[in-house]
Amino acid sequence: MKVLLVEDNERVTQFVVKGLQEAGHTADHAGNGRDGMFLAASEPYDVIIMDRMLPGEIDGLAIIEALRKSGKRTPILILSALSEVDERIRGLRAGGDDYLTKPFAFGELLARIDALTRRAQGENAQTKLEVADLRVDLLTRKVTRGNRSLTLQPREFKLLEYMMRHADQVVTRTMLLENVWDYHFDPQTNVVDVHISKLRQKIDADFERPLLRTVRNAGYTLTSHD
Amino acid sequence: MKFLRSSALTLAVGYISLGLAALALFAAPLWYAWHVTIQEGRNETLQSDALRLTEVFRREGAPGLVSYIDTRIGMQIAGERQLLLADAALKPLAGNLAAWPANVPAEPGTYTVRLNLGSGLTDVAVVHATLPGGYHLLVARDTARYAPLERRFWYALAGAVAILSVLGAFGGILIRRALMTRIHGIRQTVSAIIQGDLSHRLLTHQSGDELNTLSQTINGMLDQIEKLVHGIRNVSNSIAHDLRTPLAELRSRLEELALTRPAAEQTFAEIDAAVADVDRVIRIFNALLRLAEIDSGLRRSGFVSVDVAAVAAAAVEFYQPAAELRGSNLLLQISGPAPIRGDPVLLAQALGNLIDNALKYTPDDSTIVVAVRGNADSGSVEMVVADSGAGIPEAQKLKAVERFFRGDASRCTPGVGLGLSLVDAVARLHGSELRLEDNHPGLRARIVLTQDTPQITRAARANIEEGEFHHEPVYP
Repeated sequence: MKVLLVEDNERVTQFVVKGLQEAGHTADHAGNGRDGMFLAASEPYDVIIMDRMLPGEIDGLAIIEALRKSGKRTPILILSALSEVDERIRGLRAGGDDYLTKPFAFGELLARIDALTRRAQGENAQTKLEVADLRVDLLTRKVTRGNRSLTLQPREFKLLEYMMRHADQVVTRTMLLENVWDYHFDPQTNVVDVHISKLRQKIDADFERPLLRTVRNAGYTLTSHD
Repeated sequence: MKFLRSSALTLAVGYISLGLAALALFAAPLWYAWHVTIQEGRNETLQSDALRLTEVFRREGAPGLVSYIDTRIGMQIAGERQLLLADAALKPLAGNLAAWPANVPAEPGTYTVRLNLGSGLTDVAVVHATLPGGYHLLVARDTARYAPLERRFWYALAGAVAILSVLGAFGGILIRRALMTRIHGIRQTVSAIIQGDLSHRLLTHQSGDELNTLSQTINGMLDQIEKLVHGIRNVSNSIAHDLRTPLAELRSRLEELALTRPAAEQTFAEIDAAVADVDRVIRIFNALLRLAEIDSGLRRSGFVSVDVAAVAAAAVEFYQPAAELRGSNLLLQISGPAPIRGDPVLLAQALGNLIDNALKYTPDDSTIVVAVRGNADSGSVEMVVADSGAGIPEAQKLKAVERFFRGDASRCTPGVGLGLSLVDAVARLHGSELRLEDNHPGLRARIVLTQDTPQITRAARANIEEGEFHHEPVYP
């Protein structure tokens, strides 16, 4: 995956570029708005990570707006120290696809850009999701594993659907909070973990091979691979 | 120059001008009426005089009038009245004028002309009458008789103007002096406050004059500022204190790591723990930023129609597994429609904090009730989270919503002491307040939301009126 990072802070840049490379991605970097604009417009990237406050006249939001106006559909993750809800809304309105506030955990960033590129590939049209022998029919809302039918609460179903859509990816607790419960705040406790363990009880407990796994220091993943 | 610029002078000049204008308005009609009356009276006398002489002429002819005029002049006080009888060629026949004055119009009538009556030119009122046979009769009277009176009137007027001006100027100086003394006092106090001593207050006294009222208002403002500054100081201290603990742990962890250089596996475990320490600090900052965001009131612009019952149902559902895990009962009671205008995310977070608190501070196997009661008549919605835990002692209830406050019961539980502050801030954003009541046993956290959100909440207003400071927005 080819990633463009537009960020003026050297420490953050080094941290992100190194992390991306270790995760097997190639990363380009622009340290100011003008270079960022130029690279984003001329090179094909799978995802762009954009800081908002940049040196050199053009700020992150202006770049995003210009890119969207010129018809570029590259997924953009905004990375900003501006944490207010209003700022977040402004970022997403300008054309950003996701918004992550600094300081951030690298696992969170990586999980989010993975989710963004997956979304860009347009898997949303599916009505049936499948991971190994776990099957979810989005129309009939039926969940089966192997040949056994599972009964899930509505919220558990939504949680599973989200995990299935992001199969083989790491999904963080914040991503789950935002996408499954629509809670854009920190609930202070590990309630998400409790929900996951309940779901795990239903889909994994009686089966030999666990699918829903905990990724240390990051979140969870639903995968059939080891 | 300084005096010229003062507002007291402007005031004095204004009053003087006003006085002069009033005087002019009073004197002008008086002067006019007086003038006209005198002139008319004089002319009337002259005319009746002329009439009487004409009568004599008719009865006794020209010689009779001549002798009559001569007799009159002989009796008259010198210069008071001028009489002259002339023939058709204007040749004087009798009278005390030497010749027929050239500037008296030929037509009969009443005029005012300038004549020389022996002591220089003066204004003279004349009545010119023609008699049968071409004779001309002139009856005249010097108007200078009234000149001293007129002069006296003008002198008096000038005197009044002078007195008015002097009194006005003097009054202006006095007012300015009094004002300057008090303004000087205010300035000294304010200077002391600027220097940093916020305890100074302006002098006030019993009288209810404008400056006193202003001083009292300023003192009220100073009270508020002092309280805010104290609040900021307290919160800064609390932030510093609460951040020091995780930072100290982080520091010792890293230092120990550098000193002992343990095996790789243990090093990584320590690094993970260090990251967790940092996350704790970040969490405190995030909570503070969130509070500041709510306190700024900006979120009110994003208010939408919210069904509090639905928000509560979602929150209860969210926390249900956590409650089950502890063997606690988390119940939801909903009655009546519960629509309000508000921020669903913040309401959810506030409710979440209350449920989270209830779970934390109650023993396992207890019951927590989340109740939403809509009152369609008053348009209010009551949101209650009640538990049967240790509760909060009466004395600490007010303090409980303060930032970084941690009750005795919470000393050994995780948290940063911002949970209830946030709930209260959300309540205040929605025009309400968080009430902590006794549930016998346990705590009842209650928020009454109303459909129309007032800009200043009851709680905030009470704070302003009583000068109480508990949880006003203090973050930039």
